[in-house]
Amino acid sequence: MKKTLALLLALCMIFGLMAGCSSSSDETEETETEETVEEAAEAEETEEAADEAEETEETAEAEEETEEVAEIASADDIADTMTSDDGTYELAFVTDVGQLKDKSFNQGTWDGVKLYAYENGLSYKYYQPANGSEATDDDRYDAMASACENGAKVVVCAGYLQEAALTQAAIAYPDVQFIFIDGYALYDEDGNVLTNVAGIAFQEEQSGYFAGYAVVAEGYTSLGFCGGGGGTNSACCRYGYGFLQGAEAAAEALGVEVTINYSWLYGSSFQASPELQTMASGWYENGTEIIFACGGSMFDSIVAAAAENDGAVIGVDVDQSYESDTVVTSALKGLSAATSWAIGKDYDGEWDDIGGTSTSLGVNDDAVGLPTDTWSLENFSVEDYEELLAALKDGSLVVSADYPESVADLTFDYVTVNYIE
Amino acid sequence: MSFLIRQTLIYAVPLMIVALAGVFAERSGIINLALEGIMIFGAFVGVLFVRVMQQAGVFDVAKEMSNYLALQGFMCLTMLVAALLGAVFSLLLAFAAINLKADQTIGGTALNLLAPALVLFLIRIIANQNTLQMASGDAASWFMIKKAMLGIDSDTSNFFVDTFLNKVYLSTYICIIVFIVLSIILYKTRFGLRLRSCGENPQAADSLGINVVRMRYTGVVISGALAGMGGFVYALTTTNCSANGDVAGFGFLALAVMIFGNWKPLNIAGASLLFGLFKCIAASYSSIDINGDGIYGLTTIGLNANFYRLLPYVITLLVLAFTSKNSRAPKAEGVPYDKGQR
Repeated sequence: MKKTLALLLALCMIFGLMAGCSSSSDETEETETEETVEEAAEAEETEEAADEAEETEETAEAEEETEEVAEIASADDIADTMTSDDGTYELAFVTDVGQLKDKSFNQGTWDGVKLYAYENGLSYKYYQPANGSEATDDDRYDAMASACENGAKVVVCAGYLQEAALTQAAIAYPDVQFIFIDGYALYDEDGNVLTNVAGIAFQEEQSGYFAGYAVVAEGYTSLGFCGGGGGTNSACCRYGYGFLQGAEAAAEALGVEVTINYSWLYGSSFQASPELQTMASGWYENGTEIIFACGGSMFDSIVAAAAENDGAVIGVDVDQSYESDTVVTSALKGLSAATSWAIGKDYDGEWDDIGGTSTSLGVNDDAVGLPTDTWSLENFSVEDYEELLAALKDGSLVVSADYPESVADLTFDYVTVNYIE
Repeated sequence: MSFLIRQTLIYAVPLMIVALAGVFAERSGIINLALEGIMIFGAFVGVLFVRVMQQAGVFDVAKEMSNYLALQGFMCLTMLVAALLGAVFSLLLAFAAINLKADQTIGGTALNLLAPALVLFLIRIIANQNTLQMASGDAASWFMIKKAMLGIDSDTSNFFVDTFLNKVYLSTYICIIVFIVLSIILYKTRFGLRLRSCGENPQAADSLGINVVRMRYTGVVISGALAGMGGFVYALTTTNCSANGDVAGFGFLALAVMIFGNWKPLNIAGASLLFGLFKCIAASYSSIDINGDGIYGLTTIGLNANFYRLLPYVITLLVLAFTSKNSRAPKAEGVPYDKGQR
């Protein structure tokens, strides 16, 4: 008895070892196993989608002809997982650190992939690199490689952290087009540009500027900024720097004094944490009225603190006013639209326009701004915003993207920056 | 000051209640290393329950009408559910340790490994991501008590109201009451004496007609219920009612607090308050204003922020170094009960 038991356990250990060997290709394919479970939900969701398209009478039939539903209300109505007939997935998305459904950066990009796939009847699939926030370049490469092995024609990679893995993957799979969101053109070892990589970046400073200007014009004088990436993420740095400039400009126009608590603390992995919540609570407790939650899932902690203290929040990347009543407005960047646009470039045979180059999208491309329909600002009107937008577009107003090494070095006339390290 | 006390309680209460969970198991003679795992499981069950109830719309009317009594009832119900499932989960440990006479540290470790994996697996199935959140709204707007709800005028501002009646969770007080009641039961009732005797000398207890197996099962089940409840309270108060297969090591901290507090409830309460206080200082040192003069004392000292973040752990080490000499674990803990050994 004991012998057989020992033998069994030994076998278990050996299999355990083997399970370890197969590494991340297993983990990235986790999503596949869920698909069966999702199928039921999928059917439901398409039904809802049809409902919202106001095809009141035909809802029952619409189920079979999902592809013919003319307009879909939002990307949330498209299932995150789907099963293709031949097991290949043409459009692939590799996530940045943080969650797929972070209500922000990853989700916004993913929505773009889903929308394009949905409108054009393509298969799509997302890949989360193994080890979550501690993902290494190898984990990311494995995710991209399995995307390519699964028949991807376009792989969308979100986040500048993917640079090393993406370079490797772009060389290994020259026939696959890669879209590098929040990225730039990449080069191989010999310094040749990789033409199958399109770097898409945003002028976040403009969006941050709008947010800073709007809330100060609204009447808030005690602001906060909680950024992700520990001060090394260039997108977040641009948001923050633009936010400060916007607040300064509005404070000057109104002649008020503004203080801003500015911190990168507890945001390095873009995750929600009790510490972040306590810190934000402390800020609100001491008079901070509104905090710019600049980084993925950190939003949850800031919103929790805001709800406790009746404070306000500025969302980031996508319109987050649907997530909580505390969100006054959001500093947008058109992730979803830009992603769809870039994928379209490949399918329309215009890849050469963006392949191998760095594209930077700003106000002139309508890629950044504030959501005027859903904001709850009262003193700052849509006309004021349009005015600001026009000034930026015609170049009479310039927002600097050249953020300093540390915000502590900055001095403003009307804004006091309280840098918390 | 009020802020500091409130936040300290938020960190201290889950620690306190989970450390007491450890005491109940160890006093009955079973080392419960699985506290962390049970907490993770409890947090998951609690959040899932809240989510399901929200999706079913059971409390929507109450929320619409701002019927806070019903919402607090909802929260208490969730705490009960988390406790119940925590107890069920801990039965795994009890079965391995009592019936199979397995090594208790290994059994506990197994549960600690099992819980996050199982929970993450289920979350991925349910939510298609790594975090399970409430279906709508946030923890504060559903469950937090604010002074306006108690009919206190918003201009009223004194120390007591600000500290204990505004921006607090009822769960904090429930946990404190449960803590006190269970401590009294452990020390002042016949049942408590019997339970403790099983952790000191089970053979002697058995010879006096106490059913050691049943006592130990009771100890572990109470322990599991408390840890499960503590897990949910942790998720509710510090992570906006979300579960992600992680409670930031609070289960292990609770074990440390238990040893630190020498397996005695009063010391445990003190130890967890101490730890909670420093944890709170670490997170919010830049906005703590003790005497209300608008100056944040700790930032003016000019110490590095990392120093404050070290503090909770350094203090724990220091106190352990000085108190561990007098620390005395229950004599029979970790030893499977064997009738033949007298």
